[in-house]
Amino acid sequence: MIPEGMRDVLPPESGQLRAIETALCRRFEAYGYGEVRTPWLEYAETLEVAGDDTLEAGYRIHDQQGHQIMLRTDMTVPVARLAAARYRDKPLPLRFYYVAPSIRPWAPQRSQDGEFVQAGVELLGLRSPQADAECVTLLCDGLAALDLRGFRVALGTVAFYTALVDSLGLADDDRGKLLEALADRDYPLLESIAGKADVSDEVLRALWRTLELSGTRDGLTQARKLASSDAMEEAIEHLVEVRDLVADAGFGDAVAFDFGLLQDLSYYSGVIFEAYAPGVGLPIASGGRYDGLLGRFDWDIPGVGFAIALDRLQEALEEAGAAPAAAPATLVFAGGLEEPARAAELRRAGWAVATVSEDADPVARPFLRRKGGSYSLDLTGGDTVTGGWRDILRALERR
Amino acid sequence: MKLGLACDGGPPPAALLDLLGTAGLPVTAAVGAGPPVLIQAEGDAWALAPGVDVLTACLHGALDVAVVGKDLLLERQPELFELLDLRVDLDHLVYAGVADSSRGEPSRPRVATPYPGCTWRYFAAAGRQVEPIVFRVAALAPALGLADGVVDLQSRVEAEAPDLVVREEIAACSLRLVAGRAARTLCAGRLEDLVERLRAALEGS
Repeated sequence: MIPEGMRDVLPPESGQLRAIETALCRRFEAYGYGEVRTPWLEYAETLEVAGDDTLEAGYRIHDQQGHQIMLRTDMTVPVARLAAARYRDKPLPLRFYYVAPSIRPWAPQRSQDGEFVQAGVELLGLRSPQADAECVTLLCDGLAALDLRGFRVALGTVAFYTALVDSLGLADDDRGKLLEALADRDYPLLESIAGKADVSDEVLRALWRTLELSGTRDGLTQARKLASSDAMEEAIEHLVEVRDLVADAGFGDAVAFDFGLLQDLSYYSGVIFEAYAPGVGLPIASGGRYDGLLGRFDWDIPGVGFAIALDRLQEALEEAGAAPAAAPATLVFAGGLEEPARAAELRRAGWAVATVSEDADPVARPFLRRKGGSYSLDLTGGDTVTGGWRDILRALERR
Repeated sequence: MKLGLACDGGPPPAALLDLLGTAGLPVTAAVGAGPPVLIQAEGDAWALAPGVDVLTACLHGALDVAVVGKDLLLERQPELFELLDLRVDLDHLVYAGVADSSRGEPSRPRVATPYPGCTWRYFAAAGRQVEPIVFRVAALAPALGLADGVVDLQSRVEAEAPDLVVREEIAACSLRLVAGRAARTLCAGRLEDLVERLRAALEGS
């Protein structure tokens, strides 16, 4: 028995996961990011600084001094904590990446295991569209490096939609309800609140259309039409610049505007993005700009980052028929226990060799058996080779 | 596009199929079909299944869009986008109790309901307390002396327990068009077309 929502990962799936992680780490490092590892446990008050709703449900324990300790529920806040504590006197920008599990109480509707591994980056100290574009590009680059076909990254911005709701001049109560309706994508509710709050039909229609259209055709045009303040125009032009930079980097086809994109995490402040792939219902990656987060650790620098949910990415890769090869097939060597030097020779030649005793039953192919002074080798294709050690080596070399 | 129609115990309502047909969807194959069934129609797939299953399939990206009741959305609060009110199967989620209210409202009524989450949230939002108990045909519970009231769809209360009195209306319900999060990004264009055509069909009717 294991606790609800937990899982074991077995071969060959574990090998595939490792291959995915390794490929992503290489891409992160290619952009100059350095790996950080942070502890499983943080003080609850450290994580609560982020003001993130998902924390409410996090696992909490007490240490021997009675401090409330939490198991981390994501990596962005621990990395922000780490940066503010350890890098304050270092030149900006800072580039960190991680591949790490986090844990949240399992909820079947969320379609995610209780413990989930994320691979992500944080780029700290840059406020420019170039920094946002670097993150989106790196996300696309990482997914493309894994041969994931058909993925799309939706680009939106929190700044646009908060400015937009502000511009409607609603009472605080209605403003809150409207934001909630937007976050839930509940258009009928949105309509009824806007109706009661005296928002003109024209504005409501425009608002509606912008949020509804994910921007394949005229989301941008609609958004520009709707922009009624400098803040909204800035948010749009910032996003356009990000898109253009990502397109320059070669991933123009993979990104699309989505001005209706909203995320639950309260620390996002600017550009946000989510990656989707065919056959997986929830985002395989999500990220965005969180300029206020470091300030909550008394270091007022901007930040942007993303996290890829590796379990969903693996599902997407399988769906696309692009699951990376796990470790090479293991050669089972009956008699290898008695001949460790020969087993070692095979391993030096690049084979994964599991040794069993001479009289073991053939369980899997390829299977090598020592019979007196000679050997017989059952290959995966169904062929069998018999002969001396040299013959066996030659046969294996041809594979 | 893969479309799911929530059908709990029967074929989809004729008014819904009419609407979808007016919007240009290939409904012929779905007419008279009973759930659970998967229909391939002109490159699209239609799944007729219980509402909760349709939601799950949508959430996991196995269906792109679905038509489900607002009551189910209120209860489950799934991470899906509600795109359009189709104005079919108009109903209300109501709180109903026995006609004889000489005892007055208990401070923490026990409420039989197929919608425990919804019931809890409705009472809690008004600062009231409630003990929701899960009962599929809620109307029988007060007659058994099991509950003080029920939360259920008005049409069901009226059909199954005409002696209960509707005390409060919780929410207006009707069939809604919802889309999975992935579909919104991956099939954006076709989704826009579908919403556009359905809206035109609604305005025409």
